[in-house]
Amino acid sequence: MSTRKPNDFKSELKPIWCPGCGDFGVLASLYRSMADLDLDPSQTVIVSGIGCSSRLPHFASTYGVHTLHGRPLPVAMGVKLANPELTVIAVGGDGDGFAIGAGHFPHAARRNVDITYLVMDNEIYGLTKGQASPTSLYEQKAPSTPFGNPEDPLNPLALAISAGASFVARGASFNTKALTELITQAIEHKGFSYIDAMSPCTTFNNTQESWKESVTEVAPDHDVTDRVQAFDLALKGGFALGILYRQERLSQTERYRAILEKAKASDVDTMLDSFNARKGAAIGKPA
Amino acid sequence: MSARHSVVIRLAGESGEGVISSGDILTQAAARGGYYTQTFRTFPAEIKGGPCMYQFRLSDEPIWSHGQDVDLLVCFNQEAWDLNWDSLGPDGVILYDITEVTIPDEYLPRARPVRMEELAKEIGGSLRAKNMVAVGAVTGVIEFDTTPIEELVLRRYAHKEGVADANIAALHAGADEAADLKGRYPLVAPVETEEDRMLISGNQAIAVGAVAAGVKYFGGYPITPASDILEWLSVRLPQVGGLTIQCEDEIASLASVVGASYAGAKAMTATSGPGLSLMAELIGYAGTAEIPVVIVDAQRGGPSTGLPTKTEQSDLNQALYGSHGDAPRIVIAPVSVEDCFFATVDAFNYAEQYQVPVILLTDQGLATRLEVIHRPDASKLEIVNRKTSAGIAREDYKRYEYTPDHVSPMGIPGEPTGMYVATGIEHDEYGHPGYTPEIHLGMGHKRWDKLIPLKTGARQAAHGEAHPTDVAFIGFGSTFGPVREAIDRLTEQGLSVGSFYPRVLMPFPAEQVIDFVKDAKRVIVPEVNFTGQLARLIKAETGIELESVAKCDGLPFTAEAIMDLVTQEVAA
Repeated sequence: MSTRKPNDFKSELKPIWCPGCGDFGVLASLYRSMADLDLDPSQTVIVSGIGCSSRLPHFASTYGVHTLHGRPLPVAMGVKLANPELTVIAVGGDGDGFAIGAGHFPHAARRNVDITYLVMDNEIYGLTKGQASPTSLYEQKAPSTPFGNPEDPLNPLALAISAGASFVARGASFNTKALTELITQAIEHKGFSYIDAMSPCTTFNNTQESWKESVTEVAPDHDVTDRVQAFDLALKGGFALGILYRQERLSQTERYRAILEKAKASDVDTMLDSFNARKGAAIGKPA
Repeated sequence: MSARHSVVIRLAGESGEGVISSGDILTQAAARGGYYTQTFRTFPAEIKGGPCMYQFRLSDEPIWSHGQDVDLLVCFNQEAWDLNWDSLGPDGVILYDITEVTIPDEYLPRARPVRMEELAKEIGGSLRAKNMVAVGAVTGVIEFDTTPIEELVLRRYAHKEGVADANIAALHAGADEAADLKGRYPLVAPVETEEDRMLISGNQAIAVGAVAAGVKYFGGYPITPASDILEWLSVRLPQVGGLTIQCEDEIASLASVVGASYAGAKAMTATSGPGLSLMAELIGYAGTAEIPVVIVDAQRGGPSTGLPTKTEQSDLNQALYGSHGDAPRIVIAPVSVEDCFFATVDAFNYAEQYQVPVILLTDQGLATRLEVIHRPDASKLEIVNRKTSAGIAREDYKRYEYTPDHVSPMGIPGEPTGMYVATGIEHDEYGHPGYTPEIHLGMGHKRWDKLIPLKTGARQAAHGEAHPTDVAFIGFGSTFGPVREAIDRLTEQGLSVGSFYPRVLMPFPAEQVIDFVKDAKRVIVPEVNFTGQLARLIKAETGIELESVAKCDGLPFTAEAIMDLVTQEVAA
């Protein structure tokens, strides 16, 4: 049984989010999930980018890295590879993850980096006051799209599945019980787990009511191990909450552990000796 | 002809003809024979085709530059002659392929045809052994012991039946080609010593230096001319319990290095100018979040894609100032291949001690050239590890606490007392976001004042007079060698000459520079870039009068060119 309570994971800093922001629900779910898992805060690292939601690490009493806009995934990878014992959770928004940071997403997925990536998707740029994001809808009006958004939105779930994420789920900030359960399963998952958390921006893109009305659940007969079914479901649109895809596959950590086990132990003196001029150092090729 | 102390050999041909491997094999053989060597090569940025050149100098004495006047020029094809004839010294001789090359009449008395292609076909049935005929021809003229070459060939082609034999036969056939030039350049035999010497490139010295410093994580992205650090550490780091990963770009490379260092590992990346541009924002982040990282920049010709395979020192400004805001960093520039090893250890030590990004600046010439150096004694190195939160009570812990030396204990995940959130946003001592004038001013001081000791306390490089009265040279990085050689020759001529090379360029040792030049009639600042970046830095930091010699042709300085800077003035 867990001895830790959600409040144990609260920091002394109060969230700076607008009243009604979906991120409160996501943060509450994360606190509860960390408590349910009885995570040791000193062995837990929350890594974020830049944006409203990326302030999250400051509100948790764990280790945290509030990185640059778009860069939580490679930073989180470095943390995890340097110390595989840590539980590493990357968080951020849709702009952070799918505009400026989109280049990193497929690589974290295909490498199966053993972290959880929780994106608070509000389909808008909140911190910069309401411009269109890569998940904003076609024809959506925003300060940067005064004639309606001329672009189609990106589909993060389909992208995650196609790029090789081994755990892909959708949750919603207004459904904290289910979201908590998803986060718990994602953290427990070995490999790259991605959660798209619908998290409405009540100030610049208030989708709360319409989203609440449109969410459904992933059908009970959906086979989460079937990648084609999962991709199909992701492409269908709509807002089915739950796990779309789950795959058991060696994580990046396990693959690198295997490399370490195979490596022949050496030391700096042996390496220096390999360049001995008199013994015919092999140029260019490490022995 | 009396025995000489040094000889300069240049091989030139088409990329893919084995010019580079010929040079490598001769260099290895010379090193095995006890000679000091230094190499210099240029090759096209494309994989197949284009002219390439490999120059190496060997001597029984330590040498500091690759040499200017070529004693023996080997031309694999016509273009090799057309592009390289003007590098010949006054007594230099030429070996050229008899079927491919036509030499102008005036050079014929000192040129000898070699049946490179003919003999290669005769012996091996193809052109593949052409370069070994050339290698053989060189050994004939220099009277070089071919045993080490045969051993190297045997080892290299051990797995291919017949190939080693054909190569060795080609080698012997080549050696008899220019028979009348035999012994043209008798060399003083190297003194037999027991000392350990290494044949190593700048990039390799950096990689093994990083291991000596305790690196445990390397994240990188392939880029000329830094890729061999990535490749070497891919093999070597797992052997000491560390990891190397090829990332999706340079941003991810440095980002992952920041993450690994945050988690407690000594971490490094290596790149060239374009990659450093992409890393700029993260350099500011590491400086602000106070996370130790080491970034190697093997400079190449710029701007933009520039000259990927040529040498230049034009990233100095970017290393010093790249990133928005007043982003702190340490910039260190090793002055030789041997110093690449020690500067890398210094870079890690500085990063750990000051919790700051350290940029290690080399250049294509220094990074890729092979040099015989003294084997460093790793057991004598001082290794610095960061100050951590271990032992501090959790309630008292402030990650960015103001301390007398402006360095604060770093919490490492897993350590119960050190929990904090690293951030690039302005923050108070706890790491909490804060934008008051007191916080911004206080943290600005913290980030910069911690580096002040290095202004006077860093290990710098110098040669010749400590306070020269005639000419004072100030430079950085790879120009040290040719300047050093020039200083020795000018000193023999009776001039008072010296050099001061700040290895640590940021923070800049202004007082030491001012003191160094106080008696000098002339201050010359040679550098390989277009705008005189170091000269501008020195002027800004010291206000001293100087002569900027910015050379930007994709080639390194030679000792002779440095000599000319002094004697031209004397002539005038």
